[in-house]
Amino acid sequence: MKDDQAGTLPPPPAENPPTPAGEEVYASHQKVYPREVHGIFANLRMLGVTTLLSLFYGVAWLPWGGRQAVLLDLPARKFYIFGLTFWPQDLFYFAWLLIIAALALFYVTSLAGRLWCGYACPQTVWTEIFLWIERKVEGTRNQQIKRDKSNMTPAKLRVKATKHAIWIIFSLYTGFTFVGYFTPIRELATEMINFNLSPWETFWVFFYGFATYGNAGWMREQVCIYMCPYARFQSAMFDRDTLVIAYDNERGDPRGSRKKNTNPGQAGLGDCVDCTLCVQVCPTGIDIRDGLQYQCIGCAACVDVCDQVMDKMGYQAGLIRYTTERAMTGLRTRIIRPRTIMYTVLLVVLSAGLLYAISQRLPLGLDVIRDRNSLYRETSQGLIENVYTLKVINMDERAHRYKLEVSGAEPGLTGLELVMRKPYVEVPAGEVVGLPVSVRVDPIELKRASNQIKFTLTAADNRKLSLTRDARFLGPVMSR
Amino acid sequence: MSTDDLTEQQGNTGIPVVQRIASILWPSFIMSGIATGLFFTVFDPLELTLLTGHADISRMAVYSSGFFTFWLLTSSTSALTCYFRRPCDHVKEHR
Repeated sequence: MKDDQAGTLPPPPAENPPTPAGEEVYASHQKVYPREVHGIFANLRMLGVTTLLSLFYGVAWLPWGGRQAVLLDLPARKFYIFGLTFWPQDLFYFAWLLIIAALALFYVTSLAGRLWCGYACPQTVWTEIFLWIERKVEGTRNQQIKRDKSNMTPAKLRVKATKHAIWIIFSLYTGFTFVGYFTPIRELATEMINFNLSPWETFWVFFYGFATYGNAGWMREQVCIYMCPYARFQSAMFDRDTLVIAYDNERGDPRGSRKKNTNPGQAGLGDCVDCTLCVQVCPTGIDIRDGLQYQCIGCAACVDVCDQVMDKMGYQAGLIRYTTERAMTGLRTRIIRPRTIMYTVLLVVLSAGLLYAISQRLPLGLDVIRDRNSLYRETSQGLIENVYTLKVINMDERAHRYKLEVSGAEPGLTGLELVMRKPYVEVPAGEVVGLPVSVRVDPIELKRASNQIKFTLTAADNRKLSLTRDARFLGPVMSR
Repeated sequence: MSTDDLTEQQGNTGIPVVQRIASILWPSFIMSGIATGLFFTVFDPLELTLLTGHADISRMAVYSSGFFTFWLLTSSTSALTCYFRRPCDHVKEHR
């Protein structure tokens, strides 16, 4: 165990514990110095942090069949996610996916409280890394507080400059990785090494880097308290069966320091030795013993540190623990309840629907654009001709040859003749081909000035790969 | 502590500057992101630049400037809302 741990009891007196949360919320901000903590939940968080960070920094470099596995290619308006390619037309799926993600978050919240905040939120993940860097450079919590109170000396300047330099380099690398999801990261790296990043790429690297540095280095818990919408509405998903972190009042109070081996019962004390370590480790600077507060991000640092203290004192662990309101009153926690059943059903239905929709997605698109310059023209044979530009979008993973047909969309309009350069159109995988075509018809067939026609595009190798689009055919009205 | 208690405590002053700035810039940032996404899903920047005769602008530049234009608009809305939400007593004092 490290020396800044819950080693000595009662607490080191030289410290200035943060003001209790209620008074602090809208007062001027006081810097929170979270004490380093070890334990099962800290380990779980480190696991979450390392997994998520490796994913973020690693996935950008993954290749997939000659391209980047995950590339949101904004310049080309195509999103590659492993084997799938998404087009702007697929925004619908993305919105669907976001709804599923939101529901999953609500579901987890109603069951297990703010697990997301404590272990998986990017704000937590990056703050954790920044805190780690800070500790490596600036030392323990006590050393940091002491240094911040002292006057500026060359030594202090050096330590602070080192910390910020490491933070900034790390932030810029984060910004670089972020941009690497939008511009192929290997090309980006080459451009970076040769100092010829495009102005916008440079800008976004710095913008995202600055946001990382600001949020994880400076803002930290203030992001959770002031900026996070989820923190504001998560209580709506809470009920008496939701997992929260709570201090056991019954068992802990009255609080007070005591010598080791004192029988708390005889001394008229509860199990809480009032060491304030739970306050010192709290990343948002609250006192969990004041009850459930919306600033609590559920990181369980106080659980870890209190368990160690209880262990040292020879008391039972769990004075601060994961529990539910119902369990605190001696009842059994219900996992299956209307709320969770509803979320489960919705999640299953929506996820299954999305998977089905993606599997049934037609990897073919067709836009019909009428020639704007002329309404119609008459050919030398006396036929009426309309000119169109067709945009054929092949969203499939391989090239296709398509056959185009045209017909009247309403009964009575027959004899439409399609004129194109080749009898078919060939589109490589993931490409858009512009195809000028003209449609001719004998004016005797036209009953109206504006007629509905339809273009049907069918892949030569797969009849199911077929799409129909409506268009207008204009002509003169024949007097008879 | 309930949200109502907090609202009472905060009164008209005493809200940290960082929260005041964040409450304007941050929601507008999110909305601007959504607006940018939706707008450019429907309109291809290249077609827009062709129509307006600025064909030399890259898509990336259009996306970026589009995002910041939206952000300017949304943050102005947020700022104006905050401005008009100030109690009218405040205005009287200045007369």
